[in-house]
Amino acid sequence: MPDRTTTVIRLEDVVRTADEFDQLVSQALPVFLDRATSSTKRYLRETGQWADDVAHEKFVLRWGAEYLERFLVCGRSEAPCRPLFLLDSFVAKQHSQPDPFCYHPDLLTPLGRYLDGLVARAVISRDALIALYHHCYGMGPRDVIAITGLNELESQRIYKNFRRWRDSGWQRTMDEIGMTDVELEELVVQQQRHPQRFHHEAERLVRFAQAHYRKSEPDHYPCLSRSQWGAMFSEGHGCDYRLWHLVLCADCIQTAWDLGRNGDETIGKPRVELHVRP
Amino acid sequence: MAQDRDLEDYRACLIDGLKVRARRSACGSSDPIHVFVNEHRVGTLDGGGTETTFQIQIQTRIDTVELRSEDGVLLGGLSAPEYGFRTAHIPISGDTIQLRVHNTAQGGSATAMFTPAPSSWRRIWKTLAASAEATVRLPTVMMGPRIRVVAVAQLLLAIVVVGLAADRIAVWMAPERTPSMVTQAEAPWAASLPEVTKLERQLGELAQMQARTVDTIQLQQQGMAQLQSTITKLSSTQEKVVSNMLTVRQEMEKQQKGSGREVRQMTRLLMGKALSEQEQLEAEIHSLTVANDRLSEKMVGLEQDNEELKKKLKAAGVDVSKAVVSGHGNATTTRPPDIGQTPQSLQAADSRSNIQLQPFLFWVAFSEGTTQESIDQWLREMDGRKGVLNEGWQEVAIVQPAVPPDRFLDRIREAKIVKAVRTNR
Repeated sequence: MPDRTTTVIRLEDVVRTADEFDQLVSQALPVFLDRATSSTKRYLRETGQWADDVAHEKFVLRWGAEYLERFLVCGRSEAPCRPLFLLDSFVAKQHSQPDPFCYHPDLLTPLGRYLDGLVARAVISRDALIALYHHCYGMGPRDVIAITGLNELESQRIYKNFRRWRDSGWQRTMDEIGMTDVELEELVVQQQRHPQRFHHEAERLVRFAQAHYRKSEPDHYPCLSRSQWGAMFSEGHGCDYRLWHLVLCADCIQTAWDLGRNGDETIGKPRVELHVRP
Repeated sequence: MAQDRDLEDYRACLIDGLKVRARRSACGSSDPIHVFVNEHRVGTLDGGGTETTFQIQIQTRIDTVELRSEDGVLLGGLSAPEYGFRTAHIPISGDTIQLRVHNTAQGGSATAMFTPAPSSWRRIWKTLAASAEATVRLPTVMMGPRIRVVAVAQLLLAIVVVGLAADRIAVWMAPERTPSMVTQAEAPWAASLPEVTKLERQLGELAQMQARTVDTIQLQQQGMAQLQSTITKLSSTQEKVVSNMLTVRQEMEKQQKGSGREVRQMTRLLMGKALSEQEQLEAEIHSLTVANDRLSEKMVGLEQDNEELKKKLKAAGVDVSKAVVSGHGNATTTRPPDIGQTPQSLQAADSRSNIQLQPFLFWVAFSEGTTQESIDQWLREMDGRKGVLNEGWQEVAIVQPAVPPDRFLDRIREAKIVKAVRTNR
């Protein structure tokens, strides 16, 4: 504890260069994490969304770490600065936005945390985005390529995305959202015992998370009609649009699922069917 | 208790993740790098070894620019200023990405320029990365001296292992090894002695080679460090030059704008002043014209009065002479009237009355078809006196009007039969 106090005093001082910033912040990561976490907790308290339980504690830890990661990278360009107060302003800026994160009590259950974590990761990671086709609809790389109508060049990336996700991406995401092996096993057991109820609940939560994180799509890709999707597929443009939007919109994937198949009849109409493991 | 431990583990896991952050990426150097502006994905930078640039301009202010690998790892970023420029160099696997952001009142623009590492550096880096079997996408800024040492040690270890393996294979494949004249019991010792000697010699050579390799690598590292520092200095100088140029350009634009505005203001001021002066001059000319007209009219009146006075004087002189002739010889005690005095006093009295009853003269052109009766009736109504008619202009004299001349003339112009009015001949 005395060390922490010493660090706090130092953190209040001015750092002159980006290297100094890196050095100082890397020495005091726990202090910074606590600070970002407590700010997030205060935000939830003041907006009437806080409850004293482990799920909420994990939630604020997760978001505290998210903010801190961005702060570590972007904050160094603010030098000379006072890192401690810069972090406060950075977090306050995030919380001043209308929806700083996707919060709903139902998303604090193990299933909710799992889905929220997956969809949130898909916004910043293409590997996670492509893997979402598997976790939500049970698709493999070939199905993804067919359903999104990708060309040969783009298809190669899909295989790489799947491989990286299986190798490291999924585990890292689970670590970051705090899903333990026990919780994951419980999800699998629930799915086996009550498949209908489980999938119904999963679809509800997936739609909820998708609606929030779709706002992060490039240029806010809107939902399209079948004819518009058809034009996009036939003209061969909007690869990113298709990849991003279809997996983040349960309705549009129902609308456009057969437009890019090129006669591949093996793929059925996609329905939300959670696959916990990669 | 278990929950507390769970939370503590989670917290520790997050801190560990933050410590290694960018080193976690499993992406290769040829994988695209995703560019995020204000936490929205806006495009990708192709990291395929060629210099590429990504540029974006948006209507709103840019807060942050972030670079993420395909697996979502945050590789670098930049916090944008509220107004103006900011740049950052983000070294990634020896390559560099230069981020540049510019915020104005109209919005923001961001540029990300991927510059691949020089080929020699790239070779060294690839060798190190391959030997260490470490993650390829490793920011140089995060690579501490300890990691470098580990990487070099691993490289050397790999070289030793490969050398030993090659040596063993060469020994096994050598023709002198196949014919064996010793017994099974003697074989291990008899075979191993020359092998050991040879191996020792080769190990010695290998050690020398390793030492040379280490020296070379160290030299190359020093060279690269110097090169990097030079590049950094160069780029910072370049940035300074660019920012100075921009500042100068902005200042020049400001000055141009300012001077243009001043010139326009001055012109406007001068034009306004000139216009008002012109108006004043026109008004003065007009009033002078009016006054001139009046003076000329007065002169005409005075001349007429003078003529009349002369006539009266002549007539009075004749009367006086008649009276003198008729009354000559009569005892006239009365003094004859003072000839010189009478006309003078009359003239003075008349001039006074003339000043008071100075007629106002003007010339009127009547509309075509106007009868003489109408003109006479109009004159009567105005209590005016008709003068000479000259080229369609009828001279009219009236007693000084009660209203100012301009207003009076306007009223005249309003009459149906009047076509035009003027006050001078």
